[in-house]
Amino acid sequence: MINLANKDIRHTLSKFIVTAMGVGMLLGIVLIMIGVYRGMVDDARILLSDIQADLWVVQQHTLGPFAESSRLHQDLQDTLKSFDGIAQTAALTFQNIQLFNRQNQAIRVLAVGVDPLGDFQIIPPHRLKAGRVLQAQHFEMVVTDKTGFQLGERLSLGRDTYTVVGVTEGTVSSGGDPLVYISLKDAQNVQFSYSNPRIRNDRARGQPTQATQLVNTVVAKVRPGYLPEKVGAHMNEWKHLTTYTHEQQTTILSKNLIERSSKQIGLFTAILVLVSGIIIGLIIYTMTLEKMKEISIMKLIGIPNRMVVQMIMQETLMLGSIAFVFGNVFAHLIYIQFPKRVVLLWPDSIALFFVILFASFLASLFGVYKVMKADPAAAIGG
Amino acid sequence: MKHSGIRVENLMKQFGEGDNAVSVIKGASFEVEKGELAALIAPSGAGKSTLLMMIGCVLEPSSGKIWLGDTLVYDNNWSKADTRALRREKIGFIFQAHYLIPFLNVLENVSLLPLTNKQSEEQATQISSEFLTYLGLEEKLHAMPSDLSGGQNQRVAIARALATHPEIILADEPTAALDIERAHSVVKLLRDIAKSQKVAIIMVTHDERLLTYCDKILKIVAGKIETIDNRDFEEGQNNPVI
Repeated sequence: MINLANKDIRHTLSKFIVTAMGVGMLLGIVLIMIGVYRGMVDDARILLSDIQADLWVVQQHTLGPFAESSRLHQDLQDTLKSFDGIAQTAALTFQNIQLFNRQNQAIRVLAVGVDPLGDFQIIPPHRLKAGRVLQAQHFEMVVTDKTGFQLGERLSLGRDTYTVVGVTEGTVSSGGDPLVYISLKDAQNVQFSYSNPRIRNDRARGQPTQATQLVNTVVAKVRPGYLPEKVGAHMNEWKHLTTYTHEQQTTILSKNLIERSSKQIGLFTAILVLVSGIIIGLIIYTMTLEKMKEISIMKLIGIPNRMVVQMIMQETLMLGSIAFVFGNVFAHLIYIQFPKRVVLLWPDSIALFFVILFASFLASLFGVYKVMKADPAAAIGG
Repeated sequence: MKHSGIRVENLMKQFGEGDNAVSVIKGASFEVEKGELAALIAPSGAGKSTLLMMIGCVLEPSSGKIWLGDTLVYDNNWSKADTRALRREKIGFIFQAHYLIPFLNVLENVSLLPLTNKQSEEQATQISSEFLTYLGLEEKLHAMPSDLSGGQNQRVAIARALATHPEIILADEPTAALDIERAHSVVKLLRDIAKSQKVAIIMVTHDERLLTYCDKILKIVAGKIETIDNRDFEEGQNNPVI
């Protein structure tokens, strides 16, 4: 049997391909939007999964360093080691800073302050692309590749100059900022020490002049056989701190920080899918209108509706499928250009494919309606 | 022995109801035998297209009877609910313009209907090729309609109308888009087809010069049909009755 859809598409192949490319670009944007969302979720979890802490100890009644300001005394890391069930602890600081590259362009990063000689391995070996982890207590920095800084490069931060000793791959904060790692002492200086005029002013007021023994959080690993929830609950009996398990901290990040953003992206994605469906529908409707005379003739000479409807539906599904392929190619070509991480996953693509097939099916109903309404008598009498 | 291609008895068509009712066809009766070419003539608005649509099972008559071959297809109701199947099986259509499907080649245009009628691809291709060869288009089987001249396209449309071996062919001003020379050759061809394929052909035309090729002239006068036998007149000589 002659496949009318195939023949029609071949007859106007270039027009069909250009149309599919246009719709494909729209679908590519849908994929990018989903990828942005996936990137956000992934980014939010990178630091948590790299640190692999069982417990996050933070200032009482705060949600922790990623959601709210939290300050603890650094020596809490030693105190916590005396707790039954605690194996390792590490004090950490987090702060947003700006570094300047050779072109004097500001690069916003999240600086993580870690003790180079501490128990915890904050940078997993698989993240390290070049160089090494921090080894000295001062003026060393490990940067992520997204910053564009090179191994051995010297960077100014505050009153000091740091040397890049290591480059990691794909490490970003929950907000998508690239991560840099500096020693805890340097980080405390950057975050908590004041400028000389400020120190003089504080002295004149009789106020303490510095608080560089503070950190933002203390993370801990529990011994085998101990439940983080139970150890954490025990710690919470100390009234000046709050503990979260790894899962709770993940929830805080994904629920509290990115939920609204993900809803927004989800809404955008839904609207784009709807718009794509409407556009496919309009294209098919227009393509059907262009063929109305032929359709009337086909109906008049006795071609069953089924064959004409099949042609319209097949064309719509082919348009959706080809547009989907173009959309994927387009998305994979441009996603790298986006400043924030875009994660394109095949399951998302496949899900979108079925959504587009369904949307195309609905869209083809415009054309099918037109076919059903076509009057065969219109072919007679010119 | 007579072999009726189409027979119409007291066919009526009224549009609207009550005071607004307009009767276009008011009891038309005629017969065209297989092998005959009949011309349907009338001034514009007299009901040619309405009559053609009723015979073509596109428009339901208000009353009357229609036979296609030996089958009574309308007797105040269609004999088959699926009138499209009736058209597909019993009627071939030729239009003012060729109205070939632009995205199918010549052979596909002609074989589409036989294929729809459940013929095998081999059979459909063979029948279509035979008709196209008969019409002098054997070199153009795989050409697209856009690559053919108007006359060639009209011959493809004729082959399409013949491909299902219909009882009748309804030709709605098939020469309207052609120059007079080509118009003559197309009507001669229709007459030859009627004779050789034993099919009844009704052709709507406004061009009186073409009537000489017709066996019968069906003239719509006040909603009824006047049948004029045209066989006694020589080719190129007009019937003085017209």
